[in-house]
Amino acid sequence: MSSTLTSHIRTEPTWIRIILTMLALLFLIGFLFMPLLLVFSQALDKGLAAYFKALLEPNALAAIRLTLLTAAIAVPANLLFGISAAWCIAKFEFPGKSLLLTLIDLPFSVSPVVSGLIYVLLFGAQGWFGPWLQEHDIKLIFAVPGIVLATVFITFPFVARELIPLMQAQGSEEEEAAIMLGASGWQTFWRVTLPNVRWGLLYGVVLCNARAMGEFGAVSVVSGHIRGLTNTIPLHVEILYNEYNSTAAFAVASLLALLALITLAAKSLLEWQLHRQAQSRAND
Amino acid sequence: MSIEIKQIEKSFGRFKALKSIDFAVESGELIALLGPSGCGKTTLLRIIAGLETPDKGCILFHGEDATDRHVRDRNVGFVFQHYALFRHMTVFENIAFGLRVRPRSQRPPEAALRRKVHDLLNLVQLDWLADRYPPQLSGGQRQRIALARALAIEPKVLLLDEPFGALDARVRKDLRRWLRRLHDELHVTSVFVTHDQEEALEVADRVVVLNEGRIEQIGTPESVYDHPASPFVYQFLGDVNLFHGRVHEGEAQIGDARIIWPEQSPQDSAVFYVRPHEIDITRTAESTAAIAACISDIRTLGATVRIELERSDGQGLVEAELARDQFSTLALTKGEVVYLQPRRLKLFSTVAETTGQ
Repeated sequence: MSSTLTSHIRTEPTWIRIILTMLALLFLIGFLFMPLLLVFSQALDKGLAAYFKALLEPNALAAIRLTLLTAAIAVPANLLFGISAAWCIAKFEFPGKSLLLTLIDLPFSVSPVVSGLIYVLLFGAQGWFGPWLQEHDIKLIFAVPGIVLATVFITFPFVARELIPLMQAQGSEEEEAAIMLGASGWQTFWRVTLPNVRWGLLYGVVLCNARAMGEFGAVSVVSGHIRGLTNTIPLHVEILYNEYNSTAAFAVASLLALLALITLAAKSLLEWQLHRQAQSRAND
Repeated sequence: MSIEIKQIEKSFGRFKALKSIDFAVESGELIALLGPSGCGKTTLLRIIAGLETPDKGCILFHGEDATDRHVRDRNVGFVFQHYALFRHMTVFENIAFGLRVRPRSQRPPEAALRRKVHDLLNLVQLDWLADRYPPQLSGGQRQRIALARALAIEPKVLLLDEPFGALDARVRKDLRRWLRRLHDELHVTSVFVTHDQEEALEVADRVVVLNEGRIEQIGTPESVYDHPASPFVYQFLGDVNLFHGRVHEGEAQIGDARIIWPEQSPQDSAVFYVRPHEIDITRTAESTAAIAACISDIRTLGATVRIELERSDGQGLVEAELARDQFSTLALTKGEVVYLQPRRLKLFSTVAETTGQ
């Protein structure tokens, strides 16, 4: 009697719980599962042959290569930057710290199209550095370097944003302990700081990679949409869709969707694996 | 190794954390820095460690100026209040850390390293925990591992920041006795910070009492307890009753009570300090030295009984402490009027003290 009474006191009535659960489920289905399902069903609408034909077409392959290349440059660059920014913000006090924090958030607060435009205004033919670049025969805008630059800018905050709160929460006592025990700054970083933030770091890298591959707005502005040369996967999808070639568009789009699923799976798997490892080592 | 602290000053912004701190720790000594929170004791410890730099003054290790020496080169073992164990490493690797990060030429071979770590684990009696991770240990175990880790680099000086601060009462008591025994075995010059006067008095060879960034008194536990140099030290080291009165014609006068105090110079307004356990309670006024009071509350705290009394002359509350059997012999009850006789008075305006008659 008393236990049912307390459970009534502590939880909501059954009908409220059911309604809330249903709401959440409906939302998930409507906004996440349905679109995902639609992407794959549209892609495979005209059979597997058409699907693979769209993927193996030279322009599609070029777009895939360019996307991979962009991510391969942008992710390590922002990994390095993110760690160093988080390290100095979380562990040291210096003037201009809050300004740096705000600057790191800039790519989040500015529309991607504007970020792309900034690069056009800086490095385009009519831009500030345009004449100098032309003189030296360096092409940034409407070329691969511009796409990489824009992507680096857009994915700038992911790693740093993930690490800063984590490092701040952990404080610097472990680092101080390491130094007191005779470790150099480098040893302290590799043996103490980095292992402590590895989960946050991995998470940041996964998010950074997903955004680097999926970025549309900024890249669209600086790309110039030259088929087979300066199209990334998202841009290629747009072109195909505008040409009413929706099967091919969804086929290529399914790659991005697949990438997202793989990213998620890899992340969960890694976390589970490492957790198990720590447990089994602990139980020895 | 001896440590000399000379004229150390430190400010954080406009807050003066330390004001001309000056004292020396002899080689092999165990010193307690005792004070309330915010008194600057941890800052002082961190300055000795090299984790903070003083604004003025210098630190001498074994007679050599070490003020500008890097933390790494000071050869100081530091035990943090919250242990700061490396959470992703096993207990074994935590202790081995200081040896593994040495330059290749000074690094011991793996077998010697393993032996050394196991010796240290045996020293702190936790060899069976070698493969555990810090989050799997209890507070007391973590503290001992933190100590073993600090000892691994064979420090000349051991610094401990509130070493027992985060532990429960029972573990604290065990661990501080254990620390004292360990120090007697190793004889490493040690300084520990605490806000717990019992801990300082029980463990340390000498106690440095700090308040608001200044040293109030330095001395052995007995001397600071028996001869406190200032009202602050007296109050910080134990419970206290204040009696307002005056000194007149070789007598301390508190209300109507007259306590013979011959060697005291006259004073019109004086504050006498009396510890609760230095008050006798009687049923009848046996001399003019007794103060009448009414028992307002009786609380039993294990072996002692704490009695709260209200002075009959309306001069406020008095707290007295009796041993349990003493209390049962007297058979005191709430509401009863009794007579208080301080056995010992302490007066601070001039340095003198006597036993009440």
